[in-house]
Amino acid sequence: MAVQTEVPAEGRTDVSPGAHLIDPIAVAIRTRRPEEPSLERFSATDPSRGLDVARHPLVAKILHDRKLQFLLILPNQIIFWLVIGIGLLGTVIPGLNFATAITWYLWFALVFVMMVVVGRAWCAMCPFGGFGEWVQRHAFWKRKDSSIGLGLKMPEQVAQYGFLISVGAFLLLTWIEEFFNIAGPGNPASTSFMVLGIVGSALVFFLVFERRTFCRYVCPLTALIGTVGTMGSVAGFRTRDREVCQSCETKDCMRGDADGYGCPWYTWPGSSDSNSACGLCTECYKACPSDNVGLFVQKPLTSVVAPSRRRADVAWSIALLFGLVVYQQLNALTVFTNFDTWLNNHTFFPHYPDPISYLGIIVAVAVVLAGFAWVFEKSFARADYTPALSGRSFVDRTSTFRAYFLPLMYGIIPVVGADYFARQLPKFFQHLPRVPVAVGHLFGFGSTHSSLYNASLISSNGGIIAVQVGVMAAGTLAAMWTSWRIAGRDLAPVGGNKRVVQISAASFALAIGVATAVLYVLMNAAD
Amino acid sequence: MTATVINTTETRDERHVTVFVDRCAGCQECVIRCPAGALSMEPVTWTAIANDAACVGCRQCERTCPFSAIVVEGPLAVSERFDPPLHQPVELRGNVDETRRGYDTWEEAIAEANRCLACPDPTCMRGCPAHNDIPQFVAAVRDHDLERAHAILRRTTVIPDICSRVCNQSAQCEGACTWSLAGGVPVAVGRLERFIADHAAVPAPAIATASEPLSVGIIGSGPAGIGAAWDLIEAGATVTVYEKDDTAGGLPIWGMPDFTLPDEVASRPWRQLTEAGVDLRLNTPIPAESIDQLLTIHDAVVVAHGAGVPIRLPVPGADLAGVVDATMFLKGAKAAMMPGGDAAALRAELGIGSQRGARVLVLGAGNTAMDVARMARRLGLEATCVDWLDERFALARPDELAEARHEGVEVRFLRTLTALEGDGRVARAQLAHTVQPDRAKQPTVLKTTPDVLDVDLVVMAMGYRLDGTFKEALPTLPIKKRHVGMAHGKWTASGILKNPASAYNHHSPVGALALDREVGLWAAALPQRERVWVAGDALTGPATVVEAMAQGRRAARSILDAHPARPDRGADFRADHETRVLIAYASAGGTTAALSQTIADGLGIAGARVTLKPVDQVGAKELAAADVLVLGTWVEGLVLAKVRPAKAMREWLAKVPNLGGKPVATFCTFGVNPRGAGDELRDRVIAAGGVVVTSEVFGPHDRGEDARLHPTKPEAFANRIAARVLTRVAAVVA
Repeated sequence: MAVQTEVPAEGRTDVSPGAHLIDPIAVAIRTRRPEEPSLERFSATDPSRGLDVARHPLVAKILHDRKLQFLLILPNQIIFWLVIGIGLLGTVIPGLNFATAITWYLWFALVFVMMVVVGRAWCAMCPFGGFGEWVQRHAFWKRKDSSIGLGLKMPEQVAQYGFLISVGAFLLLTWIEEFFNIAGPGNPASTSFMVLGIVGSALVFFLVFERRTFCRYVCPLTALIGTVGTMGSVAGFRTRDREVCQSCETKDCMRGDADGYGCPWYTWPGSSDSNSACGLCTECYKACPSDNVGLFVQKPLTSVVAPSRRRADVAWSIALLFGLVVYQQLNALTVFTNFDTWLNNHTFFPHYPDPISYLGIIVAVAVVLAGFAWVFEKSFARADYTPALSGRSFVDRTSTFRAYFLPLMYGIIPVVGADYFARQLPKFFQHLPRVPVAVGHLFGFGSTHSSLYNASLISSNGGIIAVQVGVMAAGTLAAMWTSWRIAGRDLAPVGGNKRVVQISAASFALAIGVATAVLYVLMNAAD
Repeated sequence: MTATVINTTETRDERHVTVFVDRCAGCQECVIRCPAGALSMEPVTWTAIANDAACVGCRQCERTCPFSAIVVEGPLAVSERFDPPLHQPVELRGNVDETRRGYDTWEEAIAEANRCLACPDPTCMRGCPAHNDIPQFVAAVRDHDLERAHAILRRTTVIPDICSRVCNQSAQCEGACTWSLAGGVPVAVGRLERFIADHAAVPAPAIATASEPLSVGIIGSGPAGIGAAWDLIEAGATVTVYEKDDTAGGLPIWGMPDFTLPDEVASRPWRQLTEAGVDLRLNTPIPAESIDQLLTIHDAVVVAHGAGVPIRLPVPGADLAGVVDATMFLKGAKAAMMPGGDAAALRAELGIGSQRGARVLVLGAGNTAMDVARMARRLGLEATCVDWLDERFALARPDELAEARHEGVEVRFLRTLTALEGDGRVARAQLAHTVQPDRAKQPTVLKTTPDVLDVDLVVMAMGYRLDGTFKEALPTLPIKKRHVGMAHGKWTASGILKNPASAYNHHSPVGALALDREVGLWAAALPQRERVWVAGDALTGPATVVEAMAQGRRAARSILDAHPARPDRGADFRADHETRVLIAYASAGGTTAALSQTIADGLGIAGARVTLKPVDQVGAKELAAADVLVLGTWVEGLVLAKVRPAKAMREWLAKVPNLGGKPVATFCTFGVNPRGAGDELRDRVIAAGGVVVTSEVFGPHDRGEDARLHPTKPEAFANRIAARVLTRVAAVVA
């Protein structure tokens, strides 16, 4: 990359053909040579060249089209503005109202499917961020050179906590949803207000901060998708040749050029080792001047196992998100209802969910998981183990505890993903047929008396439980495999016999998988 | 020498670099550009890590990080800049000694050179209109090697002695210095350049041993003419320069007073050029209609006549006696101040006699106005400059303004002349108040009571404009020197476009200015008509000396590369010149791109040097490197409605620089029916200044992959282009 030029000895400039076209600036740039990453740094996460779907001319043409993301967002945009309007103005019967039916019976389940199968597919078509982005860019799809808003950066004091901000937003939103029984589903207007709240918050963030700061840090779903989505089979937009990216003199994929915006998600294809922060927006693909960005698919779970950089915010997010889904399992049990009522009476809180029990259980689960990591540390860590020097912020601080906690949490991602997915299934199976009824109701068809309205995909609790346990079994097996692989690579070097550590990690995944599966049996298909 | 070095051990601890680890993507844009080597990669997280102790606080990393993931706090670790005090004569009248001083000693120069960080991606170089390799020549000064310094400068400039004196460095190299962009005081690049030029003679043209059988006529001997003549004569071409005045040198000679640019320095290039063999024909004005005549005797013509028509303000009383323009005043004053000149005669000619305290009103407060006012002070006159701009947005160099005031010139900003009064001769001026809250907005004239100023002489010095008669011969001029669209990624990556914080250059957006200057530079490389190049103020309207020189050189290099030939050129035409063909295509599904490749192959076989590019990647630089252009586009529309060349091609042709009579072949690819798309493309090319040599449309059955007969239609098209363009060259050779 560094270009060194010699001064002509005779002091004359080169007058050879084409010499006048040599840009004197370019030949005087003497940038330092970039440092080479270690060979193994990205090798485990680099998808195979053959898995680049953007090599197909038709796919390439579609991805190059600036209207692509607009067309992905538009249908969802229409649906969710209908949700807002119909939720406020339509029937108050939740099952018959388009807003509640589409949101809670279909959308939420679909988001989880997309998350597990693809990764951030929803982010590519999300109407909430999409709306904010349209306003921020004052364009639906065109590349504009200016933007609306203050364009601030997320301060590092906040940004260092990464996904944990989003986890906080998700916990808050879920508590509000539980408190007002929005997803019950309760009053359809509540769903409208919730969606309006998300759109409004997103818009404010898009106008105050630059790029997709909202989506990267604040969106209630971004932590969940960024963690569970790593199970997905789409690796995202990655470099085709890292050397080309490293020696690129413009980094248009990050800064933007006439063809595409700089990555709204603060992700560089040249160093991306996971699909966690790739919003699949195609901007880097469009902007790359060297056609060196591809859209890669990968084997499921690759982005869980392969990354060598384990982030503390991701690990704690997994622990807390697991706490939340366990809470949502526990709250279907009579024993919890009694406990929550007792707590409300003693804390003068009006009704379920009591914030103390809510946060208490979530934190307790996370602490228990951390406790397991502590046990691992005490059981296996070599006495002479010294963590790598690092630690400038929360994200990358190192310690022996983190050396165990982070990989273990990554390992159980499939259990957490399966748990969230299984938790949505009762509503999906019991009420999905209400969606066409709710749509028909808008046009004067369909009522609560229609057979479809009262139909179910799976009517028996036993059937639903069987599917839930099956999902958990699949998730647990996947988690045992990822834990095994991660333990072999990341935990064994810290101490202990490799096989023992692997067996312990897989057993840990098995234990929490079994525990959650048992909870589904106890819940008896409650939604 | 008053420079003091900041005790870096005291301030070092105060600098702190924060890398936002969550946002750092490990791209190393900061690492490769850090002048101090204070950044490296942290191997575990593969993010940047800073060594605060090595950081000098220049904030280059902040400006270049694509994700704004790095922040530097603390003071700049740079010594104070040393500027030699001005030479202020005790008695101003009649004294035209140079006021600004360069460095007298090596110690002064080296101390200043040591302030340079030798940035790996030097923004100063982008800020310099000629793109002087500033870090390298500063390093040569540090090494006491003036010969090397001159060699480095020679790559990009032939008038370092002039530029170092007359350039507004605060809007150019120094405004773009990394210290300046970081809010500090920049390296004195201009003074270091002057030190080199003052302490070792600027080398004369080094003529190539092999002569270039090329005859070039240059109209005008100003900086653009100098730049063009220098590079052409060095390459061995025959150069004839036509100058309308009796002295060569243009505005620096007649328009810049000796106290800014001594005559000895301004005349140096022409002394060397004439000794090198340039045929300089003084007192030879070339009217616009004579360009065609010049083209019969020269292979190429460079129009570099400048923009020397003074702008006059059409106010009531502008035709009164005692109202003159800057050209007349400066030429007269300069002659009067020369040894043997007669200042009293000039005063008499201006109608101000010998009275003391006579007041001259100078309209404008730009650099020309400052020259007029300061010259007036040296003639013993009181001088008042008025400008309707706010002082914050003044056009004059800040140091020039300060020097003028120091010499007793009164400068009134936010005033504009509304009327001149007098009985046959000007006696009073009415000056209305204005307001200008924003640099981008034109000042507004207020309806308050105007100031009335008693005046004895009025000099209109608002600047110059192009000679209108050339507009008829070259209707595309002047070009609009404004960069449109997004900056090239390398400019963005350098960080120069980040809004500078420096008070040193009045917070002016120096990066945007530099980008605009690039437009002029590349336009100079394109002929505006067949075999006619234009450079300098003639191309862009009034600009700067350094831009004109750089454009002249760029035009000369383009001529040397294009090998133009007059029609009756003899057998000395270079036979080894490959015709350079640029195929620019707009392709949606790949068909047009594939056909372009077929045509490229055909032209390659015919002996052309072919470049193939999507049309949106073709700019002035690519056009300058092409003798022949082939434009291909797919046809958009719905069979009957709006069937026309693709939008990308239409938009490109709408904004393309003038094609200057370049031969162009056009083709369209269609699915069902091209209707009038082929004709429309032809018309658009002609409107853009191109000469269409052939055009074609290709349908689904013309693509030739399965053709049994050869040549296929695209191959035949390539052959036709070759026959009409390449054989023209061959015929000349024959």
